[in-house]
Amino acid sequence: MSYSPELEPTPQFAATDQVQVIARHSEGHCRTPGYIRGKVGIVERYCGNFKNPEQLAVAHPAPEIIPLYRCRFLQKEVWPDYKGTETDTLEIEIYEHWLDPV
Amino acid sequence: MDQDLKMGPHDVGGEFSDPIDTSDGGMTHWEKFSNGVRIAVSARKVITLDELRLSAESFGDEYFKMPYFERNGLALVHRCLERKLFTEEELKLARAQAEKEFEVPLIDLPNPESITHLHDGEEHHHHDNDFQEDEAGEGPPSYYFDMLAVAKLLVDRDLITMQNVLQKIEQFDNVFPTRGIAVVAKAWTDSEFREYLIRDAKNAIIDMGLKLESFAEIICMPQSDQTHHMVVCTLCSCYPRSLLGMPPSWYKSRSYRSRVVHEPRKVLAEFGTNIPDDVEVRVHDSNADMRYLILPQRPKGTEDWTEANLANIISRDHLVGVRIPENVI
Repeated sequence: MSYSPELEPTPQFAATDQVQVIARHSEGHCRTPGYIRGKVGIVERYCGNFKNPEQLAVAHPAPEIIPLYRCRFLQKEVWPDYKGTETDTLEIEIYEHWLDPV
Repeated sequence: MDQDLKMGPHDVGGEFSDPIDTSDGGMTHWEKFSNGVRIAVSARKVITLDELRLSAESFGDEYFKMPYFERNGLALVHRCLERKLFTEEELKLARAQAEKEFEVPLIDLPNPESITHLHDGEEHHHHDNDFQEDEAGEGPPSYYFDMLAVAKLLVDRDLITMQNVLQKIEQFDNVFPTRGIAVVAKAWTDSEFREYLIRDAKNAIIDMGLKLESFAEIICMPQSDQTHHMVVCTLCSCYPRSLLGMPPSWYKSRSYRSRVVHEPRKVLAEFGTNIPDDVEVRVHDSNADMRYLILPQRPKGTEDWTEANLANIISRDHLVGVRIPENVI
């Protein structure tokens, strides 16, 4: 999927879709915390399209517009030794270029 | 977690850290001014918030050695220099001038009439209570003079006005902290509004007549008998500022940012909040473009209370999800 600075992209995912956060490295500024990379969860909702913060951080003249999702993870999936209850969850916002379908 | 994937010193979610100091230190005059300059610069779109974040992240090992407002203030200074909004030499001169104009004795508070500095390009005499000492009683920290210099240089270049800065300080002190509380009190007494707030928080709040300066979207999460919500920003300090004011010290602390995502129940217990095992704890990492307002359940025993009375028992901590308003019985 490629994104442009002008076009509002069509979201590739919808609520309840299973997704995996891509476990790649990043240079510079990025809003995908290390702890969530590689984890599998579901899309909770599509939040709209936003300018790519990785490009905003370097004052890019024409940042791409990218769909943003709120994704839900079971804490047991994120932290294998999680001490709370089985049903505890974590929700976090992930830009589409950091998500793979499962 | 795979340590290789950690982005830098700021990416602390999942780390083990100290118990949380749940008291809020508040802010000194210097911190308010520094914060006001930074917010004015990003509100006027001179520099984006993401540029300021990257600039702070680039401090490396120094990141957590500096107090929050110093780190963010100096991040602004560095980014202005990188963007060539002014030169090192201009900064040095403006800083020297700011220091000269601000001769605060180390121990005694200044005579306000003897101090002038620039407000909106005009000399301004200070009045009683304009100044306060910081906690150590030692007057302003060094970076405050950098911030005075940056403000002067940016005002001279018509990128911000001193009025922009002063307005932000005023809003953070007196306007923003009352809004979220008013929204929740209304939701507790008006079920139609409550539904609107949960469905479309931003528009529900705007329809109340509140002007939200922030670019961010707002999502309202209602507490229930099944789910307990709480909010953290593991990467910096994202927070619904235009609804709650400045985040408290603990929200910005390394301990809170590190621990909430992996041991939320333990963190809640440190705030005196114990969630039964049959209630799901749902942590929201406010890491990007959404901001979260937690809607607590209306306490039992307040059924005939007015909106104004209800507002008196709602606190910021309830709206971040670290505490629950107590039943009145």
